[in-house]
Amino acid sequence: MLELHPSYPALASIAERYPAHRGSLFQTYNDLLLAQQWREVEVIDLGDCRRGALQGKRPKTATDADALLHVVPCSLAESISLDWIQNAFKSLDNPQSLYLAVVSDDSSIVYYKLSSGIVKPSI
Amino acid sequence: MNPQHRIPIRVANKRAYVWDVDDLDKIRSEHRICGLLVGTLPHLSQQNVFLGLPAQLSPEEATLLVEKEYAVFVDDTNAYPEPSLGQFQQWCAEQQRYIKHQQEILKSESTKPSDVAQLAVSEAAVRKRKERELKRQQKALELRGIQEDGGGVDVESFQLASTPSVEVEHSIRPTTPSTSEPSHYNISIAASSSVLSWYDPDSCTFPTIEAAQAADIWDFPSNIKDRARYGVFKDLWEQGYFLGGGIRFGGDYLVYPGDPLRYHSHFCATVIESPTYAIHPMEIVAHGRLGTATKKTHLLCGWDDEQKTVSYLSIEWAGFG
Repeated sequence: MLELHPSYPALASIAERYPAHRGSLFQTYNDLLLAQQWREVEVIDLGDCRRGALQGKRPKTATDADALLHVVPCSLAESISLDWIQNAFKSLDNPQSLYLAVVSDDSSIVYYKLSSGIVKPSI
Repeated sequence: MNPQHRIPIRVANKRAYVWDVDDLDKIRSEHRICGLLVGTLPHLSQQNVFLGLPAQLSPEEATLLVEKEYAVFVDDTNAYPEPSLGQFQQWCAEQQRYIKHQQEILKSESTKPSDVAQLAVSEAAVRKRKERELKRQQKALELRGIQEDGGGVDVESFQLASTPSVEVEHSIRPTTPSTSEPSHYNISIAASSSVLSWYDPDSCTFPTIEAAQAADIWDFPSNIKDRARYGVFKDLWEQGYFLGGGIRFGGDYLVYPGDPLRYHSHFCATVIESPTYAIHPMEIVAHGRLGTATKKTHLLCGWDDEQKTVSYLSIEWAGFG
């Protein structure tokens, strides 16, 4: 029934390429766009991780509204590795940081910021 | 540095200890290694809040100090060979001298015993004590009588009542005379036994990890897990950080920007044995959330055993979602 959702056309090509991860991609896309009010949300092909990722900007009111941020969705039930995360960084042209969206079966989503290297906590 | 001038790390049961407070100072202030004080009173280990020497070093700390040539391993058990007859006789003579010295002091004191000591053994005191005990005994018997009359004897009160009679039995035992002629003496055991004349650490000092491992007094790092832990520890230490145990925040190490007595830690580090080692997203959530709540970034420290390199990944809560 995913196909009937108004968000689906934007995700269709990637969702069909990586059907195993289309659920978490779909949930993350809707959450960023509708709940978090992100702008210019686009789907990108994360070949090395065999799934789609998302990029976009935070709402205009946010402090870093103009920064283009990357979000990699994954399911809570998955098992990942440092290699996997490194591949995600590589596929996204090595940004300073990316957000990992962890999606659970009840569609709740949490986002964690992963930065490569040793980055001090923000005050 | 010449091995003779390096700090001795005493090894017992494959654990590393530092027994000299000056060495501990040097290790901490010059080499950024803290160790943990573990010394306590043998019979009151639960009641001593402030621990003292020796300091126990974690396997990583000890290995690093030896590898960087700041310290050597000393096989402490074998550093004390059997004393020669001459050394033994000399030691006995010293003991005898010390005992004699004590007895002389005791003798001079016993000629003018203190009031308190006198009071404790005076006839009046002994009589009073006996009266007290007799009273207690009687009371106990009465109590027991009451309970037996009452029929239902509950165990608790029976035990309460029976305790005094036990005490009486104790008091029947002859008291040890404590003020007789000074035939007894204290045996003093020196805090540091390295002053003993037969102490010989030279034959069991190991300046490298390999030598200590060959002598079977040390095994760290022995497997991939150890190598990963040590690799991460060394890499962070070389970047100038102080490292502490991570138990309080669920990691392997706490990473401090300076001496832990002066700074809060900025990071809690987890060692990941290999780049392909499975990580569950739930771990990232748990570490990330706790780190944010305690103003610490969580570090995933990935060890690559082929390249012998460490890669770091910092985790923080995103602030939304």
